[in-house]
Amino acid sequence: MGIRKYAVIGALALAGVSLFGLSAKAEDVKLTVWSLDRDIQPAPNLVAEFNKLNNGIQIEYRQIQFDDVVSEAMRAYSTGQAPDIIAIDNPEHALFSSRGAFLDLTDMISKSTVIKPENYFPGPLKSVEWDGKYYGVPKATNTIALYYNKDMFKVKGLDPSKPPQTWDELVDAARKLTDPAANVYGLAFSAKANEEGTFQFLPWAQMGGGSYENINAEGAVKALEIWKTIIDEKLASPDTLTRGQWDSTGTFNSGNAAMAISGPWELDRMTQEAKFDWGVTLLPVPKEGAERSSAMGDFNWAIFASSKHPAEAFKALEFFASQDDKMFKNYGQLPARSDISIPETGQPLKDAALKVFLEQLKYAKPRGPHPEWPKISKAIQDAIQAALTGQASPKDALDQAAEKIKAVLG
Amino acid sequence: MPHSPSSGPSGRLLPAGERLNRMADAPSSISSRKGLPAAQAPGNPVRDVGGPIKRLLSSVRDGRGFDIVLVAFPLGFLFLMAGLPLLYNVLMSFQEVDMFSLGTLMRPFVGLKNYRDLFAQPETLPILANTAIFVAGSIAGQFLIGFGLALFFWVNFPGASWLRGLFLVSWVMPGLVVGAIWNWILSGDFGVLNFILREGGVISGNIFWRSDPNYSLYAVILANIWLGTAFNMILLSVGLSGIPADLYEAAELDGANAWQRFWTITLPMMRSTIGAIIALGLIFTLQQFDLFAAITSGGPNNSSNVTQYWAWEQSFRQYAFAKGATISVLMIIFVMIASVVYVRSTRHEVRG
Repeated sequence: MGIRKYAVIGALALAGVSLFGLSAKAEDVKLTVWSLDRDIQPAPNLVAEFNKLNNGIQIEYRQIQFDDVVSEAMRAYSTGQAPDIIAIDNPEHALFSSRGAFLDLTDMISKSTVIKPENYFPGPLKSVEWDGKYYGVPKATNTIALYYNKDMFKVKGLDPSKPPQTWDELVDAARKLTDPAANVYGLAFSAKANEEGTFQFLPWAQMGGGSYENINAEGAVKALEIWKTIIDEKLASPDTLTRGQWDSTGTFNSGNAAMAISGPWELDRMTQEAKFDWGVTLLPVPKEGAERSSAMGDFNWAIFASSKHPAEAFKALEFFASQDDKMFKNYGQLPARSDISIPETGQPLKDAALKVFLEQLKYAKPRGPHPEWPKISKAIQDAIQAALTGQASPKDALDQAAEKIKAVLG
Repeated sequence: MPHSPSSGPSGRLLPAGERLNRMADAPSSISSRKGLPAAQAPGNPVRDVGGPIKRLLSSVRDGRGFDIVLVAFPLGFLFLMAGLPLLYNVLMSFQEVDMFSLGTLMRPFVGLKNYRDLFAQPETLPILANTAIFVAGSIAGQFLIGFGLALFFWVNFPGASWLRGLFLVSWVMPGLVVGAIWNWILSGDFGVLNFILREGGVISGNIFWRSDPNYSLYAVILANIWLGTAFNMILLSVGLSGIPADLYEAAELDGANAWQRFWTITLPMMRSTIGAIIALGLIFTLQQFDLFAAITSGGPNNSSNVTQYWAWEQSFRQYAFAKGATISVLMIIFVMIASVVYVRSTRHEVRG
């Protein structure tokens, strides 16, 4: 009896409070947005600008740590507490869209005057697709290319205006640039056993005619053999196997590596730290005229299927997309858009690099999309590590990976 | 504490409200039995109820009720904070779990499938072997060096207690910080360890501690020994100081040399301390996660992967929650064995 009475009183009290709340601002729709962006990054600023529009929609922002995005989102969704909008890393997007956790935006996008599929780079756009439908909007993008130290090129008799364009040229250049006496490796990259390793290797496999579904293609095996040559001949530090991209590129900045494979997120640090003349060139291809490919990173926006205000949430996404042109200037990130020309920053090295990255972006391919991406990626990482540590030949390692991936793909 | 028959022998276990109701039903019988003054007893239910409550309260303050409350709090806490998650984990290892069924309790049962799948994976046995090497190597190193240091400081030269305190710095530092520092020490190209070994003429070329599958596991063991030695030393010092000095004096009079004194007095007197330390060491090394995350991430090619890191990797990197839970269950079994050893070896401390 008592409990029921209290429950009734409690419910009445709650109703009273919410009625009061509603009457205070009856017309405002409340949305929640989760993303990993910190205060100097796009999301919280876009949310603040959006709230200032006073268009009857108010957004509450919550920052999540990079490592927690997926687990937090899953927990929230499975307990019915998901936000309306979330920013999700592109290889994880399919995981949610394939399970119906994200809202199908195809119809809204077809009616939208702001978000048009043809304005986006094909790679990022493909990462929000599942089963021919759009389940999100690319938030930003990045890719990898080859940084090289022009001063070292000159010292070793290489032409700094002709950086390596093919795999063979890359290995040759690395051999010439490697100088153990001076603590200089020819190349720095990352073959770490996490998503970074896959991120760095997959473009090579794709340029060789492989893909994650066909990871043991002849060209992919060749790519891994090249990697093994680079490690075996100590043209790159053996620590490449356990070092992420940020730390690897750090050795380039300090002059302990003559070339580095990494992304535009390095630009700001490099302009400050690197005390030499450097340049960026497209990722070398298997042979001249071969198909280009590159990795594709960064996050996508998505609306949870459980959102009570899908139309308003899409309005918010439209606003975010409308601000894409200011993204590089304000936050140093690359919009995933081919229709936006990014203004110069006034720093010649950075502007030249930006051009190369924008060119490279045209060839960027998403990882997946596949709902079981982490497992596929793990198979690829295992193959890379087994081959580079000499525990399996590149061919055997990739054959094994292909088998594991086949089991995942079903 | 006399029981009132109206509340029955099980009265202590009844909900308080119920008990009060029963008491109110038979006020006079209670009061008379409690031997309250007759003037107060009949026809005065309020006071009558007050008696048993007082009794109950006084039992809670100073009696068996007090004991039960004392035990119930930690037990309840333990059950909520450790017992439930543990049971949940065991349950999960028999289920098919994916990220979208995380929020539900009753998921499809698959029997022992997770266990069979786990042992069908080629990396399982090497990882279990790595775990055994890691645990054995870490405990051996921590214990031997810790014991050596404890004996050294036991000599009690000037400043010994100061120095001993300083050793605790390693124990105070968080694992991730220790990992980051050892990451630099062990770095292949510019690492301090390689520099020292090279200058000392021990090695001619750099050893890539973190990236060479032959060394990676030992690199983490090295860091873990450094981290855990101080703790071993302190506990062993406490054990050493508990040995009565007259034993040694008597032995010396009988002409026992230092080695004999150590072997026949120190070691036997330290048996329970050593048992406890090794059991605790087993638990601490099986818990060691930060160093793996910071130094090798279990790589390269799982050469330094151990069950505790692997369980996390399965659950939170590949979202194979059931598999992560299965690995954890295997670990729970090992830790339970260690706990039994620990409890047994510290049992007579409680008696004394």
